[in-house]
This record gives sequence, structure tokens and C-alpha cells, in this order.
Amino acid sequence: MGWEEKRVHGYGEFAETAQRCHGRPIFALFCGDKDAAGRSWCPDCVTAEPIVRKELHNMPDGSVFIYCLVGDRAYWKDPNNEFRKNLKLTGVPTLLKYGTPQKLVEEECFKAELVRMLFTED
Amino acid sequence: VAKATPPANLTSGNAQKLQEGTCKLQKLLEMNGHMQVPHSYDFDLIVIGGGSGGLAAAKEAAKYDKKVMVLDFVTPTPLGTSWGLGGTCVNVGCIPKKLMHQAALLGQALQDSRKFGWQFTEEVKHNWMAMTESVQNYIGSLNWGYRVALREKKVTYENAYGEFVRPHTVKATNKRGIEKLYTAKRFLIATGERPRYLGIPGDKEYCISSDDLFSLPYCPGKTLVVGASYVALECAGFLAGLGLDVTVMVRSILLRGFDQDIANKIGEYMEEHGINFIKQFVPIKVEQIEEGTPGRLKVTAQSTVGDQIIEGEYNTVLLAIGRDACTRKIGLDKVGVKINEKTGKIPVNDEEQTNVPYIYAIGDILQDKLELTPVAIQAGRLLVQRLYAGATIKCDYVNVPTTVFTPLEYGACGYSEESAVEKFGEENIEVYHSYFWPLEWTVPSRDNNKCYAKIICNIQDNERVIGFHVLGPNAGEVTQGFAAAIKCGMTKAQLDNTIGIHPVCAEIFTTLSVTKRSG
Repeated sequence: MGWEEKRVHGYGEFAETAQRCHGRPIFALFCGDKDAAGRSWCPDCVTAEPIVRKELHNMPDGSVFIYCLVGDRAYWKDPNNEFRKNLKLTGVPTLLKYGTPQKLVEEECFKAELVRMLFTED
Repeated sequence: VAKATPPANLTSGNAQKLQEGTCKLQKLLEMNGHMQVPHSYDFDLIVIGGGSGGLAAAKEAAKYDKKVMVLDFVTPTPLGTSWGLGGTCVNVGCIPKKLMHQAALLGQALQDSRKFGWQFTEEVKHNWMAMTESVQNYIGSLNWGYRVALREKKVTYENAYGEFVRPHTVKATNKRGIEKLYTAKRFLIATGERPRYLGIPGDKEYCISSDDLFSLPYCPGKTLVVGASYVALECAGFLAGLGLDVTVMVRSILLRGFDQDIANKIGEYMEEHGINFIKQFVPIKVEQIEEGTPGRLKVTAQSTVGDQIIEGEYNTVLLAIGRDACTRKIGLDKVGVKINEKTGKIPVNDEEQTNVPYIYAIGDILQDKLELTPVAIQAGRLLVQRLYAGATIKCDYVNVPTTVFTPLEYGACGYSEESAVEKFGEENIEVYHSYFWPLEWTVPSRDNNKCYAKIICNIQDNERVIGFHVLGPNAGEVTQGFAAAIKCGMTKAQLDNTIGIHPVCAEIFTTLSVTKRSG
């Protein structure tokens, strides 16, 4: 059965997608937006993404991996943005298991071992 | 073992090492009767128990680049409750207890707030599920935090039940029943305790313990708390503070081991604030009247001083009659570790070493030591520093401050009045005391004669303060600083010379003048 990826942009799309996938294990990676040339304003996100992607095969069968671009740098810096308010995100990149307190923030996402632990922990 | 003549092609240094190693091996084999002895162990240290003590020790050992493993496993309660990494304190002890105590205090604060001008028309109600969800969410983040911390510090962790099978070897069994063997040079037992049951019909089927309470998926309703321990009184206290009908059934005295003068004041306060006490009775039978969440239970109890039998109906029965050390099913007999057969506790020397030199123990399982998280953490860290960093400091178990989070909080450090009298003689101690009225309680007209401060001084030693007791709000915060002063040997004169902070509860300690002796 494997897993599937959903790409979303902004909080509204994220919330809607997570709702639709209710009942399945949901993992989400939040990153800064990429410009027309595909460059992100968030250098840590650039580092983390390939490391996370390499471990995706460890997710349990039936999982959903939501790849969410949060917005531009100005939006992210706003202390009242929806991600900070509703999901209590404190930094990007953040990798989390939706609906649980399990998450990895910023440099924690660089460590393959921790990413693997998040995907396989029950 | 083959004769110790090294092959010709080794360097002289390595040849010497091989010779020494083989001789050591020979000696070990002789000692252990020719059993299989590994040349090297899987780990430098295996910690059995991932609670306050175990995790602190494991993380400290990793700092010195030792190869460490932590085995943590929670045997589910009779009702099936379990929890994650972190031990009792984090999951079913200090943390959820303090949060729920805070929930109850906030309820009281909401009542007080009207007198301070806050106006709200609806009556204030409490939602058990909302509180429990928040508390469990926070605990979940702590469990996860420990997982990440261990992984980052390269400590091997397995969610498996550890037990000794032979010297230097443990068997780890995970929840699927899969067994693995691991060896280590040294072991640290930090398995803690679990709530005791009464041993009466219906106790395991229908009663809950503190292990179940903090994640109970329904409001407990009308509750009978059995026991007079701080666990019993703290739980009874916050349940009542959340608006539930609470009764406490006590066999004899309250808070055994604590200053009894204060223990009685705590009990009186709880009684005056709506908690029922049934004294000198023990339950003999618990039956289910109706299933449900919660259901209805019938409790039959017998007097301890006569023939009287009473019955009562409750939604929930919470047993808090004591805790038993988890030392009887971890194979200690296989490695010769002596335990106190009656209590299950492990006697250790002042370096936390058991009678088996390579096996150590810390935390609640220790005989004659205070069962507190900070004590276990300190003991664990210092032990590891002595083992791997050449340190010599031993854990100081004297003058450890504590706080009981009953509705009227109690902070203490040092001797109780009765133990001071026993040790020094009544004529050699001076007890200074005073009631006080917190400023915050004046406006809402709360009790003006319940909060209480007491210090015990050693007359023969410059009136050194040897006992500190405070009954009042924020008792823990008040006591912490005084514990440091007591460690420095503060005398009554030094205390009197300290200028108070105004207006706070703690300032009473700087102006104590009335003694118990003066009547």
C-alpha cells in the first residue's frame, strides 16, 4: 500500500488536506516558500528536505506525507501567522506527526536518525 | 584457555597486552567456575528503568562517551493503563499531579476573583476531559523530548522489560514478547515503584490507582480515596477542588512520617473545605452495582477499633495506600543482589552500590532514602560522575526539602517536631511558630487562622535552624530558598537579621518570636 505525498501551500490548504486524511497517519514537513527559480528563503529547509525525503520509506503503510510551503519570509516572521497560532509551530523547517506532540524542529530535521525515529515511533 | 605464548608476528606492546588479557581471563574463569565470560561487553552501562533517576544517569554517562543502554517498560495496570518514557514523575506522578492541583487552585481563584471586581454571570464549571487532554498532551511532549534527547546523546533505548538472567547479562523482552540478551560491565537498577492494592475482593477489577487517574477517559464523579499518604490527600484535594464529591477513608494517622502537628492541620483544612473523612476504617470488599464510565461501586468497610461495618456507594474508588518497589521480578536472585525481603527495597552503601560490586541502584527502590525525583536525579548524576569522571562527591540525603500539594500546601525541610524531640530532647530545641493571613486572602475573606509557619532550632548549637515548616500558598516556592539557607547552617539570629519582603507570606519567617514553650 505504501504512502502518498500531498503538496499544499498555506494554512488553509494544509488544514483542509489534514481533515480529508483523518484516520490515516499524517506526517507533515513545513518549509519556506520557493521562488520562481525554485530557491527557498529558508536555508535550513533546503538542507532538511532531502534528508527527510530519504527516510520517507520508513513511514507506516497508508501514511500521508504533507509537504507544506508556509508562505514568504514576511508572512512567517509575523508572530500571529496561522501556523504559529493554530499548530504552535516555532520554526521552519518543522517535521511533525499530526495530532501528536511528536515533532522535530530546525536542526533536529538534519539528523536522519531522529527523522527515522519520528516516522517509526508508535 | 590456550597457553599464553603470543604469536611471533605481534609487536611487543600488543604481545604484552595479549598476555595480560589472557591471564585476566584465566582468573575470571576460575572465579566464575569456567562459565562463558565475554572478552568485552555490549555496553559500559545498562540502566534498567527510564524514570527520573535512570534517565539522568544515562544522559550523564553518555557525556563521558560511555556506551549506555536504557531499558524502560511499563507493565499495564489491572485496568490496562500504560504510558511512555519518563517514569512515574513525568507520567503518573509529580507533573500531572501539580497540573491538576493547579486546575483546582484556578477554580478557587475564579471564586476569589469576584471580590476583586471580576464580573461574570455564568456559574463556573469544570470539564474533566478538557483538562486531561491538555495534561496528557504536555506529558506526550515530555515523552517525545526524552526520546529525542537519548537519541541525540547516542544512548541506546529499548522499550523492553529488563531482567537479569546471569552475571553481567540482562534479557530484554519487548511488548511483542521478543527477547534479546545484552551484557554490560555495570548495571544501574532504577525501576521505581507501583501502587499497592488492598488484596480484597474487587480491588483490581473495580478500583483505580494514581497510575490510572491522570489519564482517566471520563470524569471520576463521586470518589472514595482510600489511604492517608500524600498521594491520597493530594488527589482527594484536587478532585474536591474541581467540584467532585470526595471522601477519604483513613486507617489510622494522616501523612505518616511527616510532622504530625502539621498533618492534622492539613486534614482539618480539607475537612472544613468539603472533603469527608471516614477515620479508622478499612475497605473489606468492593462490588460493582452498575457498569459505566464511571459506574457505581459499593464499598464495604470495617472499623479498625471495633466491630462496626459500614457501606457506601461511589462512582470511583481510588487506592492510594502505598507503593511497592519493582524489585521482585527482575532476576535479582540470578545475580545475587540482596533486597529487604519484607519491603522489596534495596539496601545500598553511601555510593549507591548494592552488595554486588558492579550493580548499583538509585531512586524510590532504595531502602531508607527519600522517594523524590530530585534525589534520584542527583544520586544518578553523582554516581556516574564518580564512576566515569573521577569525582568523589556523594549524594547528600540530609536536609532535602519537600512539598505536599494538598489544598493548603505544606513545605518542609529538616526535622519534624517529633523527630527533633527524639533526637535532641525537648529541652534542647526551641520551636518558634505563628499563624499568618496571606494578603491575597483578605479581600475574598478566606481563612485568617489556617496558614502557619514553624521553625525548630537546636539550642545547643547556636539556635541553628534544623527544621522548617510552612503551611500556606506557594509552599514549594517559599521553601526552596530556605532549604539553601539551612544547608549553609543558618541560625535563628541570622534569620532574624534577614529583612523581610513585604507583603509576602514568607516574610513571617523573619519575625518569628513566639515559642511553643512560652505556651
